[in-house]
Amino acid sequence: MANPVFLFRLILLMLLSMMPLSGYTQANIEIDTPAIASLKQSMQQRHKQLEPYYSRGAVGLTHDGLIAMHDANALPLSARQPVNTLIAAENQDRNALYREIARANSHPEWEGDIRSTFGQRWIQLARPGWWYQNASGSWVRK
Amino acid sequence: MVRLFVIILPVFFAVTSFAYADPVITLSIDDVRSPLLNTAGVQASLTGSKESLLDIQLDEVAIQGKVWRGLRFSCHKFQIDNGLVRCDEGVLTSARSAPLLISFQFSSRHKILDVTIQTSSSEGRESWTLSAHWGKPSWGGMLTVTNGDISRIAEFLPVGENEILPTPIQGKGTINGSIKLHGDGDGLAGIDADLALDGLGFSDATGLHAGENISGEINAKAVRKGDGQGHLWKWNADVNWPSGEVFWQPLYFSAQGQRLTASGELNENIVRIVEGKLVLSGIGEMDLSGVIERPANTLRDFDLSADNLELSMLFSQVLKPFLANTPFADLKAAGQAGIRWRYRNSAHESLDVNLRDVSVEDERGRFAFSGVNARIPWQMQGANGKHEPTTADIHIQSSQLGRIPIGELHIPLKMEGWNLSIPRLTVPVLDGTLTLENFSASRKEGQAQEWQWQFSGGLSPISMQKLTEALGVQPMHGTLSGEIPRVSYNGSTVEVEGALLVRVFDGTVLIWNLKALDPMGPAATLMADVDMRNLDLNLLTGTFSFGNMQGRLDVAMHDLELFNWKPVKFDASLTSSPGNYPRRISQAAVQNISSLGGMGAAAAIQRSFLHFFDDFGYSKIGWSCSLRNGICHMDGIASEPMPNGYLIVKGGGIPAITVIGYNREVDWWELVSRLQRITQVSPKPIIN
Repeated sequence: MANPVFLFRLILLMLLSMMPLSGYTQANIEIDTPAIASLKQSMQQRHKQLEPYYSRGAVGLTHDGLIAMHDANALPLSARQPVNTLIAAENQDRNALYREIARANSHPEWEGDIRSTFGQRWIQLARPGWWYQNASGSWVRK
Repeated sequence: MVRLFVIILPVFFAVTSFAYADPVITLSIDDVRSPLLNTAGVQASLTGSKESLLDIQLDEVAIQGKVWRGLRFSCHKFQIDNGLVRCDEGVLTSARSAPLLISFQFSSRHKILDVTIQTSSSEGRESWTLSAHWGKPSWGGMLTVTNGDISRIAEFLPVGENEILPTPIQGKGTINGSIKLHGDGDGLAGIDADLALDGLGFSDATGLHAGENISGEINAKAVRKGDGQGHLWKWNADVNWPSGEVFWQPLYFSAQGQRLTASGELNENIVRIVEGKLVLSGIGEMDLSGVIERPANTLRDFDLSADNLELSMLFSQVLKPFLANTPFADLKAAGQAGIRWRYRNSAHESLDVNLRDVSVEDERGRFAFSGVNARIPWQMQGANGKHEPTTADIHIQSSQLGRIPIGELHIPLKMEGWNLSIPRLTVPVLDGTLTLENFSASRKEGQAQEWQWQFSGGLSPISMQKLTEALGVQPMHGTLSGEIPRVSYNGSTVEVEGALLVRVFDGTVLIWNLKALDPMGPAATLMADVDMRNLDLNLLTGTFSFGNMQGRLDVAMHDLELFNWKPVKFDASLTSSPGNYPRRISQAAVQNISSLGGMGAAAAIQRSFLHFFDDFGYSKIGWSCSLRNGICHMDGIASEPMPNGYLIVKGGGIPAITVIGYNREVDWWELVSRLQRITQVSPKPIIN
């Protein structure tokens, strides 16, 4: 009579052998190209302007790796349009960054996955008190 | 609130007057329903004989769907005498408001009602006074407000189920003025309001629609025409806005004396603006008319026309906020514009734009247009529902694309809704011309609604001298020309089919597979393959002060990728062209070529007897560089492999010189700076 432990291991091995070894080669999201470096630099410079708005709750992080106006009431009226412009410029850079990282990995079709990975990372890096959108799209204070 | 009492009081007084002999009267009504008024939980009591105490409580009052809750009115000096009902020092309280002092007198004989409402605060300057009179068939009244607190009105405004009205900021804003009303048996027949607002603030929950410190004057009149069910109101209004600021996503306005005058009609189904004029300081005057459908308050039809608008302010205040996420976000514009916009059945129908002496400039220096005069009669749909083609006449005196100046342009733009086309356009570029044929552009369906366009054409010879001067690079001689079977843009990438031909240095440069990714975006990248044939080394090295060389050179630069006009990636190879021609290389050129190989045996020539010779013979040149991640991976003449190093110059003739490179990898920017310095460092030359 066959050893049941051996049989179990054999079945497990057979099942594992039927699974694809790896679906994807992992994207290198740290990849660096002049375009990516330029986008990061532009975003870094803008971050100094955006930071007080994150802290005040005026601007928050969306779950799809972008930023959005969370509470315009936290801003004087005259500042709301310039902050809108700042948000649009930041989102333009962020969209370009995700596209460039996917392209630098030679897999433009990975853009969506890279975007969601970054979306989670931005939220992890957010300071306490900043606002972000959870997976269902609701605003949450960190 | 006043309306409420006009309705309630006569009914109540009729009851109480009848039973006044009794010192205590109580009245309790659970529910009253009528088309005009619904009440629930009404309790009233009258105590005493001469100066009595009146107390009325209403749990809920609803008038035409609007609801007030928890109202209580008490009057300690209440008198009824010979048809005159009078209350001094009455107090009205509600669930949502501080108490209000109310005095009134009502005479059924003289048919008058006077009501004064004042705040109970110590300031005591706020008052609302209503004087009404009625007879057969007409009635009239006047409401006078002195220092009325706007936030108080908001508190008393009924709580609607689905109202998205801005919520006034507490404690802000006062109102002064008067409203005259008159009516007849059919109800209200005329209103004449003359009001001044001061310090008004409002905001919705998200702050995307908000105003602060708003002052303004409103003069409005409305007169009912017709009778019975088909009431039609004729109205006119004049609104003046001298101070304050408003943010209405994405627009921001600060008051600069803007003024709106309008007249029109109103009935149960529509508000019609027959004639309106909007004056925006710094922008100009606009005439408007339109129809708003009730009760949804949606814009159905609208006409806006203006002849002389200052484009500078119009663009920065009104248009630019809508362009925040587009390549046109950094534009500034100046000049005069005329606009005719027609909106029908909740859709754009036509937009006729006239531009006069307009200039447009991209603040990032990517493009600029000046002396633009145009008439653009865009039309969305004709009467039969199909697109009606129209032609725009656009004349541009001069423009600039990057650093390249473009001459006078006349653009016959055909428009069919969102489909645009130009059959043929000649663009003067320096001393040549770019010819565009069969240009067509259309807006993609879908959420992003990006534009896509394409054209074919050709570039007649442009002087390289003028082009290099314009670009501010090393002057070159020759021409640039090309046949372009197709240039297309798909919303993210510009692709050029065919090839551009540059004739320089007595040879040819062919640029093909030209592609620009995200050309107006933050990460614009240019890609191309470049093949250069038979370049005259004498002219080439003379131009770049490289050290004289004689001969012919072929250069292939494939998979070239430029970011910010700097190379990021390529596979390049330089080889001496096939054929018979003199092959000489100067001592200076040898030094410079040697530097391509990196740090080798430095100044070997200077140390040897070779420095007695000015130039040398060679038979073949070959050098290649694959640029990846900032590193140039180098090799030499492919057909002459060497065990150590690689051959860059193969000697030939007398005296001949051979140059061997040993470093296979070099930092690209280090290499470029070395070439720029015309370094003295070179690999070891071998003398045959």
